[in-house]
Amino acid sequence: MSHFSTVKTELRDRTALIDALRDLGHSPSEGERPVRGYRGQTVVADLTIAAADDASASDLGFRWNSTTGSYELVTDLDLWQRPVPVERFLAQITQRYALRSILAASAEEGFQVSEQRQAADGSIELVVTRWDG
Amino acid sequence: MAQHSIRFRIRPDGRVEELVEGVAGNGCHQLTERIEAKLGTVQQRQPTADAYQGNSAAVIPEQTLTTPVH
Repeated sequence: MSHFSTVKTELRDRTALIDALRDLGHSPSEGERPVRGYRGQTVVADLTIAAADDASASDLGFRWNSTTGSYELVTDLDLWQRPVPVERFLAQITQRYALRSILAASAEEGFQVSEQRQAADGSIELVVTRWDG
Repeated sequence: MAQHSIRFRIRPDGRVEELVEGVAGNGCHQLTERIEAKLGTVQQRQPTADAYQGNSAAVIPEQTLTTPVH
């Protein structure tokens, strides 16, 4: 039966998250590291982007939340100096994460990308196809 | 040979709309399940006939954000 679904994206897959961060020009470090905040306070995250890596703002990282089964952004919002607000920053990562997840899953299931384009409203439109004999 | 296509729209806030076109084969179900495992909870699922009649809208954007508490 054909169906139409809407999924609220959660950052569950480490590889797709790393790919998404790299697509957006970041260099995430893997393994537990401290994320530095106000007055040298730190929290530990599983994936980190050091402030020095992109010459702006504070450290940020992603921490695995075993209760929700997804990664969460950790950063000190008082030190946020990036060109986009944190909500927009997280949205960009989430959109890219969704694209990476879908591309990876499609390849694993033998689907090929037959169309990919950026829509005027900022959405990414993607069509994947498989021929079954 | 049957062609199976799945159409995705990935919104700027990361929400994903998925449309399985035609009568879906097993491959579509497997792909849908694999993608949903990586992405998260399905908020809405409905037959495409409904979707084309314009009843599919009204999706509420949600984001979660966690920051350290001083």
